[in-house]
Amino acid sequence: MSWLGRLRNLLRPSRLQHELNREMSFHVQERIDDLQAEGLTREDATRAARLQLGNYTLQVERTRDMDIHQRLENTLRNLRVAARALAKSPGFTATVVATLALGIGANTAVFSAIYAVLLRPLPFPHAEQLVTLGQVNPKMRQPFVAPVRLSDWNRLNTTFQAITGYYSQDESETSGELPERMTRAFVAPRFLQVWGVAPQIGRDFAPAEEHFGGPSAVLISDRLWRRRFNADPNVVGQKLHFGLSRTGAVAVPIIGVMPASFQFPLRNVDLWSTSPEDAPFARGRELTWYSGVGRLKPRVTIDQARANLAAVQSALGSQFPKTDAQLTPDIQPLKEVTVGGVRRSLWLLFGSVSLLLLIACTNVTALLLSRAAARQPEIAVRFSLGATRASVMAHLLAEVFILAVSGAALGLLLAAAAASVFRTLAKSLPRIEEIGLDWRILVYSLACAMIVTLACGILPAIRNTRTNLARGTRTTVVGSNRIQLTLVGVQVALAVTLLAAAGLLVRSLDQLGRVSPGFEPDRVLTFQISSSWSETADLRAGMRRINRILDGLRALPGVDSAAVAYSIPGVPTQFQVELTSDQGRAETEPKIIAEGRTVSPGYFATLRIPVLAGETCREEANIYTMMVNRAFANTYFRDSSPIGRHLAQTGNIYIPNSVVRGIVGDAREAGLDREPVPTVYWCFTLSQPGTRFIVRTRSEPRLMSETIRRAIHDLEPARSVFELMPLIGQISDAYAENRLRTILLAFFASAATLLACVGLYGTISYIVNVRKREVGLRLALGAMRTQIIGQFLSQGLMVSALGCMAGIGLALAFTRLISNMLFGVSPTDLMTLTSVVTIILGVSIAASLIPAIRAARLEPMQVLRDE
Amino acid sequence: MGTRKNDILQGTLVLLVLKTLTSGKKLHGYAITAHIQRLSDQLLRVEEGSLYPALHRMEQDGWLRAEWGLTEKNREARFYSITSKGRKQLAEEQENWNRLTEGVARVMRGAIA
Repeated sequence: MSWLGRLRNLLRPSRLQHELNREMSFHVQERIDDLQAEGLTREDATRAARLQLGNYTLQVERTRDMDIHQRLENTLRNLRVAARALAKSPGFTATVVATLALGIGANTAVFSAIYAVLLRPLPFPHAEQLVTLGQVNPKMRQPFVAPVRLSDWNRLNTTFQAITGYYSQDESETSGELPERMTRAFVAPRFLQVWGVAPQIGRDFAPAEEHFGGPSAVLISDRLWRRRFNADPNVVGQKLHFGLSRTGAVAVPIIGVMPASFQFPLRNVDLWSTSPEDAPFARGRELTWYSGVGRLKPRVTIDQARANLAAVQSALGSQFPKTDAQLTPDIQPLKEVTVGGVRRSLWLLFGSVSLLLLIACTNVTALLLSRAAARQPEIAVRFSLGATRASVMAHLLAEVFILAVSGAALGLLLAAAAASVFRTLAKSLPRIEEIGLDWRILVYSLACAMIVTLACGILPAIRNTRTNLARGTRTTVVGSNRIQLTLVGVQVALAVTLLAAAGLLVRSLDQLGRVSPGFEPDRVLTFQISSSWSETADLRAGMRRINRILDGLRALPGVDSAAVAYSIPGVPTQFQVELTSDQGRAETEPKIIAEGRTVSPGYFATLRIPVLAGETCREEANIYTMMVNRAFANTYFRDSSPIGRHLAQTGNIYIPNSVVRGIVGDAREAGLDREPVPTVYWCFTLSQPGTRFIVRTRSEPRLMSETIRRAIHDLEPARSVFELMPLIGQISDAYAENRLRTILLAFFASAATLLACVGLYGTISYIVNVRKREVGLRLALGAMRTQIIGQFLSQGLMVSALGCMAGIGLALAFTRLISNMLFGVSPTDLMTLTSVVTIILGVSIAASLIPAIRAARLEPMQVLRDE
Repeated sequence: MGTRKNDILQGTLVLLVLKTLTSGKKLHGYAITAHIQRLSDQLLRVEEGSLYPALHRMEQDGWLRAEWGLTEKNREARFYSITSKGRKQLAEEQENWNRLTEGVARVMRGAIA
């Protein structure tokens, strides 16, 4: 009510005044009437009444001052005057706005990414209740859960609303001319219940569809619905066809379309079907294939859930000692699993842009100080005309506010482009499609503008209103040089910090490119072929099929060799296994822990990993074979040769026991940035979803893409080829996050250097300007021009050298924070720090030389006449 | 006017205005002054210069409602009436006032003794 009243007054100021006038004149009239009734004449009564009311105008104004309107009007007037003042110096205004746009824009851009990826809850109802579940076996890093066990967990726990699981595979849809690759997730019952998400069209799975032998049904993604069905609202009931051969395709009816925001378990998932828990092949407790997800009950903490499920599992352990005693459940918040990996990179970027904003602020403060100093006379006049200090400060701050808001507005344009920048540089960044501008980002950038206003404006406002009237009319403001030079020094120091960090990251990326990986990634093409987990029931048939494909590939002109593997060399993956040797090892000897890779025998030739001892493995009829790398042989078989030894992995049901046929060179299999670790290679042509084909070509691998696609289509017309790309592309994509932070940090550091440069240039120019008269006099008295140049140049260099020194100190602290993002350089890398200092001093010379030369070119007579 | 000038203590004006309006009648500014003067036997005199700013502020605070109307003499005047929020405020102000007078009275008694 009261605010409404004020608002009304605000909107109709003249009406308020009018009403007050009417009310007051009514009062006077009444008074006159009364006084006349007491016997006064009309004139006397009028005069007395007016006298009694006091100064009429003052009353009106006092009443009006109660109004918020007055305050607002003052503010608006301040802003108007400030805008006029800024319009008069377009150069200054443009510099400051551009500086702030860069600072606020970059900051807002990174914040929008942090907000979308890290801060906002995942796009599911009550996403904080969602967790991932895995089973941990001390012998085997194996996060998948057996269907039976998952169903036991769901039945026996007291802390979850529901637990479900899924696995996925790439399949081919064969309705069209060519098979179309689709990623299908097979989900356990309760899947949509756990997510709390309903199909946007159609329905969830019916109970009958979740049982073995029940009717088949598929939910499709919004993407597939738009791509394939052109967003047809009557899509429910239409059929998709899946099959491993042209003739044996199975038609599956669509029962619904999921919302666009639902992209689980994979961003590119197309389909969801049920995976019956009661299938006969899913009964074994040792068969693990689900990734588990669950939804906690409201107000249940993750620790309670962990304790509860651990108790459930230990009960299962005593019931099924053989399969369950060793296992423990592993529960992690889903959000952490999704975005935890990029947290450090994003906060590093945010820290960097905050430094950049700080530099921008410092820069603007220095510019404002110069400007306000030049306006001392004007401020003095304001004071002498009776302005209060507060009103002059308000006036000065209003200018800064306009600058900051304009900067923020421009900066928002920059931030709007952030999403596409992130998408270009790192398309694998989780939740990247959620990055964008919304009102919260707007509020954030506005808040930045407010903070900037205060941070940049307050110092100049205080300094320049602390004037006494007598001093203000003269133009001696040399005293404030020191503070401006200090601010420039601060900018230099911060720029050095950012440059050093960026330099180290760039060097790391460069080192990564130079590293010798132990295999030859050039001219290698990789791809996958759609297949299904159900085919793994007959491993021999799968092996025959793959060998047929490999033979077909090798027969192509332009192909050197071909192989399959279950992982891509050089792309970070871990599959740690524990092995036992037939030799028998003493208790005191360390356990044999190694990375395990499953590859076809052609792998080593295709990747040019040299065989150092023994022979390349072959697939033999009655024994499984394996290769080990040099690190493995050196670590575990120092005194004897591993060749001919039998090694077995506990719990591996595919390959119980295999014989070592040879030793190969160390390759950086588990990521280019990781030292080769002891590794075993099972020579086993495994056919299951996720198997990679690796082909060495004679020329540029991309040129072979079409040939290979066609060859596969001839051999396997019902299967689609996907993720067909050069191996170096795969490796480079795996380091996209590295690249993202390196490129962005390098950009921020360059911007920081530029700003520091502009700051130095501006300040030296200003000092030259202020001391024109002195310079003119000295030139007139015979000073050499080189002396003048030397004086200003050394002033600039001194500031920048001090800034560099402080900056190196800061950099040493800052780069320690990123030490685990570095590869091949130490955080105190001398070469990087030296080049940073050289760059900064170089640009400092340029930035101070220009105004110094300008000073030396002054015409003494001209200057002295102007004064 | 002949009466001794007795300006209203700072802050009590609001109390007096609200009290004046508790009857529920709508009064214009002049009537409010007259009412206070009459009830206080001319002991209290409302200064017009303070009254209108105060009325205005009280309206903005939502304690009073104001509307234009005609007096018996057919003049346009702004009539004020108390709101429920105003009544609450009155209770509070009255309480404060009582405490103040009680306190002052005690001090004065003490000073005499």
